Amino acid sequence: MDLELSDDQFDLRDNIRSVLEGACQPALVRSIYDGGGSADALWTQMVELYWPALGVAEDAGGLGLGFVELGLLAEELGRVAAPGPLLAVVSQFIPVLTEAGAEDELAAAAAGESVGALALAENGRWDLDAVDATATEANGGWRVSGTKAAVLAGAHADRFAVVARTDSGIGAWLVDAANSAVTITDVIDPGLGLADVAFEDAPATLLLAPGPATTEALTRVIEQATVAMALHTVGACRRIFEVTLEYAKVREQYDKVIGSFQALKHRFADMFLAVERANAVGYYAALAIAEDDEARAEAVNVAKAAAGDCQKLVAEDGLQLHGGIGFTWENDLHFLLKRAKAGEVLCGGRTHHRAQLAGRLGLLGASA
Amino acid sequence: MKLRFDDEVEAFRAEFLAWLDVNRPTPEEIAADPPISSAYVPEWSRSFTKRMFDDGWLVPGWPPERGGRNAGPIETLVYLEELNKADIPRTTNPQGLGIIAPSLLDFGTPEQIEQYAMPLLRGETSACLGMSEPDAGSDLANLKTRAVRDGDNYVINGQKVWTSGANFADFCFLFCRTDPDAPKHKGISIILMPMDTPGVTVRPLKEIVSPEHPDLNEVFLDDVILPASNLVGDENNGWAMANGSLAHERSMVWLMGVMGMESSMRELLDTAPARLEALPEAEQAIVADDIAGLYVDTVASRCLGYRGFARYVKTGSAPEQALMKVYSTEIRQDLARVAAELAGPDSLLTSTVRHGSVGSLEAYFTTFGSTISAGSSEIQRNIIAERVLGLPRS
Repeated sequence: MDLELSDDQFDLRDNIRSVLEGACQPALVRSIYDGGGSADALWTQMVELYWPALGVAEDAGGLGLGFVELGLLAEELGRVAAPGPLLAVVSQFIPVLTEAGAEDELAAAAAGESVGALALAENGRWDLDAVDATATEANGGWRVSGTKAAVLAGAHADRFAVVARTDSGIGAWLVDAANSAVTITDVIDPGLGLADVAFEDAPATLLLAPGPATTEALTRVIEQATVAMALHTVGACRRIFEVTLEYAKVREQYDKVIGSFQALKHRFADMFLAVERANAVGYYAALAIAEDDEARAEAVNVAKAAAGDCQKLVAEDGLQLHGGIGFTWENDLHFLLKRAKAGEVLCGGRTHHRAQLAGRLGLLGASA
Repeated sequence: MKLRFDDEVEAFRAEFLAWLDVNRPTPEEIAADPPISSAYVPEWSRSFTKRMFDDGWLVPGWPPERGGRNAGPIETLVYLEELNKADIPRTTNPQGLGIIAPSLLDFGTPEQIEQYAMPLLRGETSACLGMSEPDAGSDLANLKTRAVRDGDNYVINGQKVWTSGANFADFCFLFCRTDPDAPKHKGISIILMPMDTPGVTVRPLKEIVSPEHPDLNEVFLDDVILPASNLVGDENNGWAMANGSLAHERSMVWLMGVMGMESSMRELLDTAPARLEALPEAEQAIVADDIAGLYVDTVASRCLGYRGFARYVKTGSAPEQALMKVYSTEIRQDLARVAAELAGPDSLLTSTVRHGSVGSLEAYFTTFGSTISAGSSEIQRNIIAERVLGLPRS
């Protein structure tokens, strides 16, 4: 058992971090918050670096790295509150295409020629039981109807992988964005491009046919999306922690830097623990997915619950310890606060994942 | 990163399990004569320690002449895992085996090693650690017990407190001030003190649970005369040696905290479903959420502990050390409290009528020993903030 990143993984992380520190500076994020800014150049650069292809198998045109490496990417994107579709593409859309073995689509997504999003959530939930959207077969083709909420990068996508229901179970279909009504939702973090997407008899191509194997495949997709979102949240939280710590080392009150006060020191120690804790279980879950371990489902719940715990403590303390300055639009802190909060909500919050865990541990009658 | 240990490590585990199968003390033996104080060595523990020493399983990472087999740290880790799973105390004198014997091996004279360290390792004697004083608990460098050189002897006067196991120990690893004029950290020495030396008075302190089995003691030292040959290492160098010796077991201590937490969680999960079933649904959901939260903590503590251990093996240091002290002790406290809440009125039963610790308020109270001793949670948070995060001292 070795829960430490390898040297190669550390190198990859440092590489991603240094690129993002140059290409995704707060000024870019701010321009999108203020309206008028665009993440297009950032996306182009990411494509040139083959980031969308990171987790795609080599024979499908990708770099063939594992899920832990995708976790590193997700965390670093969170650390800079990156705008644009990459997180959705690598952790939601490509996993569906991979499960479906959709070679052409996968190659296009890996090459950045297409931008896809996973249309899953309904009724505020990211699990298969909550799916009401329907797919029907007619004249040798498929049609999908239903409304999906909070589709990550829905505003950026040119195609959707839509999870829908038929009489014989849950499946997944590919729908062109041109054939679906997209309402870009005004949310606290405009970089996420969250959108409600309404499908009304939209022409669709079958990706995963309904049946038990597809239910398992989509469960794996949701697990990947959830762990990536957990690590994304941890990345935003770690940065909140870092900037708050930097601030406490220079901000003076009563002729002392505020970081010398024991009451604050103890809060910093607790924040540090919350970040390390969520980070450690996040990569444990990523590893469980990468190795297809029997503990993977449980590890996913643990990771997302811990990310939620981390977000609650670090975002609250980070804002509080900044004092009034952290409450202003001019300070960059709020990009991270909003990204962390969104990350807690998306793919199910801590309460949801703790309830699921309680079910798995035999503490509640059925898995929630 | 990988979730499983390598085959060689698993082979080592299997070898130890096979040995343990033949040599382990039975649960009945342990229950009949439990380790009631941290320097009380029951007969079964004496012979078990001797067998571990002889067969190289006492401290696997050490050379054979010192009770080991030159095993690597990962092997030592799985060895501890198996002892924990089997619910067998590795030693009933943790300070003796974990801190005092290794310090003597590092800093003691050949005579001190022969006379004091080796009998400890063979389970023939036990020892206590004389550090804390009334004015020197967390502020350890403030200790006042004086040792004055008088010809070939030291004359010692002062008082120790919170001395675990002093009531059963054969000797004490005593921290004294030998230079009152030096800066606080600079004038401290370590002297070996047989507990039957004239002038040594031990007064056990009853604790809030199990008052019939005191572990903590006050130790009064009135004109205690010890030969200068009992000085460990160089005079006035006690602080540096203490830091070195505490580091000996620190990495393993956090892992044992993790393993202890996993045992407590297993016990809780064994008993919880039946208890929950008797509760109304709304209460079930609340208690289940509490336990699920603690389960997240248990998994996280394993991940942090094992990751920190990997870092420690690789680099010789890991910020997880102080983190894990706070985290593992506080979570065990939470676990014990939730288990007791779940047990309801049964939690009020004392250990004289109930056996085992699941759901007992006595077990909960006991956990405060760990959040207070060996550097309280508050001290640990200061250490994290100052040494790991670089915040200035107040």
